[in-house]
This record gives sequence, structure tokens and C-alpha cells, in this order.
Amino acid sequence: MIPAPTRYARATDLDDALELLAEPDAKAIAGGQSLIPVMKLRIARPSLVVDISRLDLRGVTERDGELHVGPLTTWDELVGSAQLERPALAALVECARGIGDLQVRNLGTIGGSVVHADPASDIPAVLLALGARLRLRSPDGERDLAVSDALVGPFTTALEAQELVTDIAIPVPPQGSGSAYACVEHPASGFALAGAAVLVTPDGETVAFTGIGAAPFVLRDGLADVEIFGDRFAPAEYRRELAGVVAERARTMARERAKADR
Amino acid sequence: MSDVIGVARPRIDAPDKVTGATRYAADGYVHGLLHARPVLASEAHARLRGFDTDAALAVPGVVAVLTAADLPLATTGTDRTSEPLAREEVVFAGQPVALVIAETEASAEDAAELVVVDYEPLDAVVDVEAAMEPGVPLARVVEESDDEGADLESVHAQVDEGQEDDAAEQLSGNVLDRVTREHGDVAAAFAASDVVVEGTFRTPWVYQAYIEPQVCTAWLEPSGALVVSTSTQGSFVTRRELARAFDLPLERVRVIAEPLGGAFGGKFALVEPLAVGAALALRRPVRLVLTRSEDFAATNPASAQVTHLKLGARADGTFTGIEARMIVDRGTNAGWGVEGGTSLLVAGPYRWQAHDLRGYGVQTNRFTFGAYRAPGAPTAAYALESLLDELAQALDLDPIELRLKNAVVEGDVGVSGNPFPTIGAVEVLERLREHPLWAQRNSLPEDEGVGMAAGHWPGAMEPASAICRVDADGTMTVVTSVADMSGVNSGFAVIAAAAFGLRPDQVRVVTADTASAPYAGASGGSKITYTVGPAVLRAAEAAREKLLAAASQELEIAPDDLEVVDGVVQAVGSPDRSITVQEVASKALRFGGRYEPIEGHGGSAQTSGAPSVAAHLSHVRVDRETGEVTVLRHVIAQDVGRALNPALVEGQMLGGAAQGIGWALYEQLDHDEDGRLLTGSFLDYAIPRAEHIPEIDTLIVEVPAPDGPFGAKGIGEAPVVGAPAAVANAVARAAGTRLYELPMTPPRVWKALRS
Amino acid sequence: MPDTVTLVVNGEERSLDVEGRTLLVHALRDGLGLTGAHIGCDTSQCGACTVLVEGRAVKSCTVLAQQADGRAITTIEGLAPDGELHPLQSAFVEHHGLQCGFCTPGIILTAADLLSRGDAPSDEEIRHALRGNLCRCTGYQGIVESIRAVGAAS
Repeated sequence: MIPAPTRYARATDLDDALELLAEPDAKAIAGGQSLIPVMKLRIARPSLVVDISRLDLRGVTERDGELHVGPLTTWDELVGSAQLERPALAALVECARGIGDLQVRNLGTIGGSVVHADPASDIPAVLLALGARLRLRSPDGERDLAVSDALVGPFTTALEAQELVTDIAIPVPPQGSGSAYACVEHPASGFALAGAAVLVTPDGETVAFTGIGAAPFVLRDGLADVEIFGDRFAPAEYRRELAGVVAERARTMARERAKADR
Repeated sequence: MSDVIGVARPRIDAPDKVTGATRYAADGYVHGLLHARPVLASEAHARLRGFDTDAALAVPGVVAVLTAADLPLATTGTDRTSEPLAREEVVFAGQPVALVIAETEASAEDAAELVVVDYEPLDAVVDVEAAMEPGVPLARVVEESDDEGADLESVHAQVDEGQEDDAAEQLSGNVLDRVTREHGDVAAAFAASDVVVEGTFRTPWVYQAYIEPQVCTAWLEPSGALVVSTSTQGSFVTRRELARAFDLPLERVRVIAEPLGGAFGGKFALVEPLAVGAALALRRPVRLVLTRSEDFAATNPASAQVTHLKLGARADGTFTGIEARMIVDRGTNAGWGVEGGTSLLVAGPYRWQAHDLRGYGVQTNRFTFGAYRAPGAPTAAYALESLLDELAQALDLDPIELRLKNAVVEGDVGVSGNPFPTIGAVEVLERLREHPLWAQRNSLPEDEGVGMAAGHWPGAMEPASAICRVDADGTMTVVTSVADMSGVNSGFAVIAAAAFGLRPDQVRVVTADTASAPYAGASGGSKITYTVGPAVLRAAEAAREKLLAAASQELEIAPDDLEVVDGVVQAVGSPDRSITVQEVASKALRFGGRYEPIEGHGGSAQTSGAPSVAAHLSHVRVDRETGEVTVLRHVIAQDVGRALNPALVEGQMLGGAAQGIGWALYEQLDHDEDGRLLTGSFLDYAIPRAEHIPEIDTLIVEVPAPDGPFGAKGIGEAPVVGAPAAVANAVARAAGTRLYELPMTPPRVWKALRS
Repeated sequence: MPDTVTLVVNGEERSLDVEGRTLLVHALRDGLGLTGAHIGCDTSQCGACTVLVEGRAVKSCTVLAQQADGRAITTIEGLAPDGELHPLQSAFVEHHGLQCGFCTPGIILTAADLLSRGDAPSDEEIRHALRGNLCRCTGYQGIVESIRAVGAAS
């Protein structure tokens, strides 16, 4: 219930944050809605919590055919963002609206959720379907990493210890596109038993899943070849079926939205 | 009086609760307080070999790491009061084995994870049916002493014991109790039936999930008296249990029942022995607030159960025979179980020609069984009412008509062998039948269905007392020992107001502690309104006599010619000749006053019970692709005797129905094969949220209880009993297939649709 | 080595010593004696600890006290001026939105956030907004009625 002992430091700017993260067991905290629960269970035991929540990394802007979402943008801010009110990006808002609950959405951030890398959290599926890219900053400089390359396993990313997300770039889909997110959630935790995000464009469809594997993933061939995770509550056989159902529901909705986007 | 009883009013403690002013048991400041953190067993069954506490003791702020030997217990029983920390044998994963005491909660938690426990694992018994077979390992191997254990069974229900069964059934030593009720020849009854249906129904361990985790603070006064401030359903029963366990004179133990943050049957003498043991050992105040994880693992949820049931009926719908074999998983509770209760209640509020009802209480290495709102009843009703629906279908009879045909009325002899007192089964079913949803049940869209089910709860009785005291300002204070679990205090306020002649806002209700309160039993069993209510009524009447005696002198009018209206004593027919209650009281409560204080004491000892019946309609939709069940609408009709405050009565009906929906669709405590808890938080154990519960229509039916205050009776438990069955019957209709196991989770519904 | 944090609680600046790991709920309850925020779980789900930070509902058990440094915090005790009840508090009393009351402060503050956002919410929106608040006693119906009544009145 009470986290293990830790120190707290508030970063004054990005460089300060990166420097503080040099400590071996330091951890960045943004909204804390993913980190603090695991600290309270004492699964996470950082020696130093680096508070980056007041850095200027919020907001949604459009530039050069891409949408740029600040990693510290909260779910509530995403839901309210006028920039995201288009059929092509509807999956993003649809997903954000359903994440956690009202209190979580007031504090939880999109960047925090992505780097927490829970294999059953919703937003990775949407970012994967939309082909999103992370801009990362470290003391050595900057690099870009596709979300698909960033999520490598349960609660594991390809980010370095001293690396922070400074931007989430989402290519704006062409005219006549639509996206949607559908999931079946665990009645207690609200996490996805199976979630599917679909982007429909004039050139094709992209389907991404969450909740059914070691990490969220983009569907390449068929579901039949994919190894599906199962547990006592929801066995693999059931989740496989669910995956098909949510993909179909998201696909239907995305196609409708694509039509409306002409 | 017509505007006092039967009027919907806000509950009297609402203003304090909505402003955060109410002090719950974890909220009070205590000087010099130490904090406790339990160490819970990680093995389901093991011998306790020893501890390494060096690292824990080295944590700054830690005062002690207590084990069983350190607690000054005087008894060797194995109930949770007598053995709050495991002595030699761990019998369930989650059992407290040590208690860390520290200056802060944080350091106690830091130290608790450093305590090393040496276990010698033993075979864990996890499957309740397998546990019954001769030759299997025993869930408890250390010999139990002959010492008297806790007597908590009587708190919960007035249910007769049935007959102990010594018949030659080869069963293992894990079977702690067998109860049999037989009457007539069931085999012959089935042979003479036109339809016989049977089935096996399974329900899991279910958690009460009160939002306030269990908490207790204990300290010694300079005089050596022990004071216990706790979130409990019963201050007197807690005092009795603590006095017994620690061999203290009753008058040296003072128990204060703090406002309850929910209890539903689970808060009885479970955490107090730990805090008290520590306070006595260390001679310092100790508070134990369980974390939610600890509360999931280490308290006392409701038993898992397997019910084999068989029913017969004639073509005209008359019930013939009922045969039940009900296996109740008591976990580690050697003291009591619900096998007696559930095997009685499985007959429902119906007449049967022959019955053979058996209950088995079986120990396993899973939890300590505890009571949860109508213990043993929802599980019994799930089996019974599911089969009654199958009977109705087989006989092509309307499900409500089928039940009406067999519903008991006053005087009918139940399977207990006793006649039913006044009971509103018929009235409730008739009222339910009128609801528009019932008429719509056959014209619903595909994948939707409406089911119905009835449930009843016998209620309970225990002698009780109350005091009514008028203060110098003319208002009244009602004093009881009652822990207000269901809103009963608001009922006492209107009872006292109506009986005395005050407005309800002129009455306050106080819960006093065991040092000074008049006696009443614990809150539970649906008995407080029915037993303490009459005590309050008589106390108010006694106070009124004092009032009239004094007023009569002041007004020079005979007491019989006076009435009391809204705090004014006035002559009947000439209201201008009057004196206020406040004036009379102030004349009594002063130096040299002429009149006795305006106070009354009242007592009650009910001898006849007051059962309550509640019947439900549930309208569900099944998503065939995912197996998810949505409850679209729910209706509950309940016989409440008399609704002293309809809003509070409806609150019990709504809360019970919602918990029943939880039983039906969402709630299951789960262990792995080694007896380790898999569902130890709200991340895994789903209690219904607002989105899961629909609009619920509440239909209050009033069949006055002859001995209840203004005809009222206990109504807190009946509402949950039939709810899971109604949802199950609705799902059976919507899905076209019946599930024989609760909860009806999406994966289970999905699987049933495909098999 | 404790750190000092300054919280503006119910309009008043309060400074207190906390550890790096101190949760806001403990700072409020133990540090400032504001026990209206209740602790009902340890997995950030029950919402009984909900307070308002800058007018937004947050679970105070899932915020480090130091993260809230300098922020304006409203607890249930500060929702209404002395002696009066906030419309939500009155509504919960009048419309029977509570029984044991343990979840009630958290629910009222979540509702305050919800109602501050615009048009009166539908029942469905109210129920969705209560995802982060568990109640075991009421079946939620009185809660929804109470919030609906305030939404309709404003």
C-alpha cells in the first residue's frame, strides 16, 4: 500500500530530467497513474522519482502532414482536442475516452502509458494502427523510434534508461480514411481482454491488437498464426475469438468513418 | 403520527457523511499510537517452523515483531478470535502468522516484507468435493483442543440445527458437520410426480467487499481497562469474544462501535484480537488497518458451495418432493458453517410434501468462512429457483403462477418442522406479476430475456433494550448499542418520535459503547428493527408516561386527557391548554426540580420470527459474440412489514439487488491448485460499478409483522437472496441455454452458447 | 530526510514535512487531519480517496504529495462554505445518495468535476463518469439521482 522508500526530485527542464535519470534506479513520473500503482504494490522500487509532469511537453499540433502529440498530454486533454476531431483519427479519441476512469484521465498521460508498456493497455493498439513514431531524447541526442519497435515485451520497451519521449508523431491519414477502436474489457480491471484498432485508408487497412499477446502488435497475416495469451478468467481460445470480434467491430466502424471522410 | 411513520426522509446521519465529518474507525487521533502490519502466510497448508525477524527489527521505527506466543491469549481454540496468529499450523494462504508493530505505517510495512517465515509445507486441500473422500489429506492436522471456540453462528440467523447425521456415509475427517432434515418418502414422491428435474449448481467463494477495510484500535487505560475502538457489527459480542480469548473480566473490556463503512456480515471479531493482543503485549495503543489486499486474503468471505438438487411436481404444478445434497466449503472455520442454514433455505418459501435435505460442512485450506448478507440463502435460491424455472417449462406453466401455487402462507409448516409466521410470499409474487416487464417477457428482441426468482430470509431474534432521554431543550436522545449497518438509527428516530409525540427532527440517535449502552445483539440476521425497534418504542412510551405525569401536574389535567403533538403537551380537544415538552423537561432537569427526568427504558424479547420475501425480475441481453451479459432492467418486490422510512427500505432493496447482480455475473474468489489466492484485489475481483447496474424498480409490499414496531421487521438480507437466480433465469432465456455455475462470466456464457 | 511541501488546501496554504514516497492521501489524512478522504483499496480503483486538484478529480492515493506542491486542493471538508451545504451535498442528503457513507466524499467530488464541465450529463454519462468510484451499499441508483438532480438544476 505504501511505496518502498524513495527520493523525489522535480525536473526543471528536459536536460535536468535526463541528468537526474542517470541514477541507476531512477524513474520518470508524469501523471503517475501507471507508475504509482506498481510502486504501491512494491513491484517498482525506484530509488529516485523524477517528476517531469511540469515540463512543457503537452498539446496537439499539426505540422507537415503529421500530428504531434506531446507525451505529457493527458487523456482528458486528448478527448477535448479539436485537432483530433476527424474520422481518420477517431480511434484516438474513442480510445482515450474509455481509458481508466475520469480521475485517471485527468492525470494520466499518453506518453506515460506508452512507456509503461502494459500488454493490455489500449492506446498502443491505436498508435500502432496509425503508424505512430516516438521522438526520443537522451544526453547523446535525439532519435526516432516507431511505436512498433518501441514495444518489445510485457512492461518492456526499447528505450534507454536515460531517454525520454519528447513527441509522438502520427502521420495524418489521407482524405477518405477512418479509424476505430473496439475492445472487450475485463470487468474488474478494465484492461483489454482483447482490443483492436483499425485504420482504413483508400490504400488499405491496418489492424493492431492489444491484450492478447506479450505486447501489442500489428496484424501481418492472419490471427491463426499468432500465439494468443490466456489465463484462468479468459482462456486463449476465447481471446482468439474475441480478437476476431473486436477487429470486425472496429473495422466496420472505421469503414463507416472512412466513407464519411470524403 | 401519520406524517412520521412511512414518510421518505433523509437518513439522520447523512449531513455528517456528506461533509466528511463522520469519523470512521481509522480516522481518530490517538496519542502515542503504534501501527500494526500483519505478515500473511504464503503457504495454504504448512507447519510453522519458525521466524527470522532480525532484518525486520532493524528497520527504524519498528517496536516489535509479534508471533502467536507473544499474544496473551488464554484459549487454545482454532477460531480466528482464539488463534489470531497461527500457532503451529498454517491452514490457509493469507492466514496471519506475525504482526509487525512500528511507530509509522510505512515502517511497519517496510519491516513486514523482511520477516522470513520457515514453513514445512503440507498437502493442501483445495477442492471441496475431493476433500470429502475418505483417505484424502486433512486440511487441519494438528489436534484441535476441546476448548470452547467462538460462538458466532447464533449471531446470524435463527435457523434450527436440523438433525446431526450419524448414518453410515463414508466421509473423510474434513467433513466437520452433517445436517439432515427428512420428512416423508421422497423417492415415492418423485415416483408419483409428473415431472422431476434435477441439476448440480456451483457457486464460488464471494467477498463482501465493504469499501471500508477492517480496522481496529486498542489501548489500555491507566486503570488497566482495555478499550477497543473498532468497525464492528456488534460491540457486545466483540466484548464477549475478547474477554473469553484473553481471559479478561467483561467489565474490563470496553468496545466502541465506530460508524461502519459497510460490513454485510464480515466484521465480527476478526481484527480486534490482533490489535488487542498487541496492545496487551506492548502496553501501548495499537491500530490495525487492513490494506485491501490483506482484507481480500485474510478476512472471512462467503463459502463456495456445490448443490445437488432434485425437485418433483404434479402436472397441475403442485410441488411434491425435494431432495438436496449441499456441500459447503467452510475453509478453515471449525466453529460454524451455513450447511444447516442453506439446506433449510433451499426449500424456499414453498410447501413440499416430502423432503430429504442434507448439508455438509467441509473444511479446506481456502479462507476462513464468514457470513455475507443472507448466508447460505442466495446459493440455495440459485439452485432452487433455476430448477423451478425448468419445472415451469416442462409443465408449460407460468413461472410466477407455479410459485404462487405453492407459496407458503402463515401457518404452513416449513421444512424446519415449524409453522411459518406471517409471511408475504403470495403478496410479493402477485405484486411482481403486475409489473409491465413481466407482460413483455415473450415479445423481446432476440438475445434478450426476462427471468424471475423469489427468495426469502427467516430473520432472527435476540433480546434488546433501549433508552429514550429527553434533554432540557425538549429534544430526545435515543440510546442503543446498535452498530448502524443498514440505516436502523433513522428508523429508531421515527419510532421514538411517533411513540412519544415529537417531530423526527427533534430526535437524535446515539450508539453508546459497552460501558454504558443498554444491551442489544449484533447487527446481522435482519433483526435490529424487529428487536431493538420495539425496545425503542417501549422506551419512548415509558418516557412519555413520565412526561404526562409531570405535565398533568403543571396543567392540572389528568394524563389520560392529554396528548403530545410535535413537542407540545396539550389537552385533547383544547390545544390552547398546553405546555411544551421543553418546558416540562427544564422543570425536571434542574436543581430542586419537582419531576423525575423524562426518560424511559424499554426492552423486548421476541419469540416469534418475522421472515421477509423478495422476488425479482431481471431483463438481460446476451452478446453472443463475446458472452457479455448486460442487465437492462431489474425489478424487486419485497414484503417489508411496514416501511418506517420507504427511502431507506428502498435503499436496502437496491443494494441487495445490486449485490445479487454481482453474485450472478461478476464475483468469484479464485485459488490455484496450491491454494494461493489469484483474485486478491479489485483488479481481479469485479464488484459491480455504476455502469453494471441498471435502473431498478422497487415495489414495497406491506404485510405488517404482528410483533414488529408499527408492523416493521428486519429487511436487510432478503433482497439479495433471489437476485442471482433471477439473472440466471433471464440469461437462460436470452441465451437459450442454462448455466449451472456462477458467476456467469463472458467466457463461461460464450462457452455455454457453443456447447 | 523529509521534504517540505506546500499545499493550498480548501483555500488555505498548508506546509508539511513529507517523504519522497508520501502519498497525497496520507498527507491530507495524517498530516493535516482531513480524514474525509478515505482509503478503500490499494490498487487505485475504489475512488474513496478522490479529491479535487485545481478543480479536477484525482485519486489522492495515486498522487505523490510532492507532485501536488503548490496546487490548489479541495477536499470534501472544503467543498462548501461554513455551515452551508454544497448543492451536491444537499442533493445526496435529499435524494438518498448514500448509506454507509464511506465512498460518498469521493463520489461527490467526482460529481463536482463532472458537473463543472458543461451541460447536464445523461444518466449514462453519470454512470460512466463513476467508473472510478465503487459503492457497495446503494446499487448506485440514489447516487445517479442525486447527481442528475444537481445537473438539472444548474
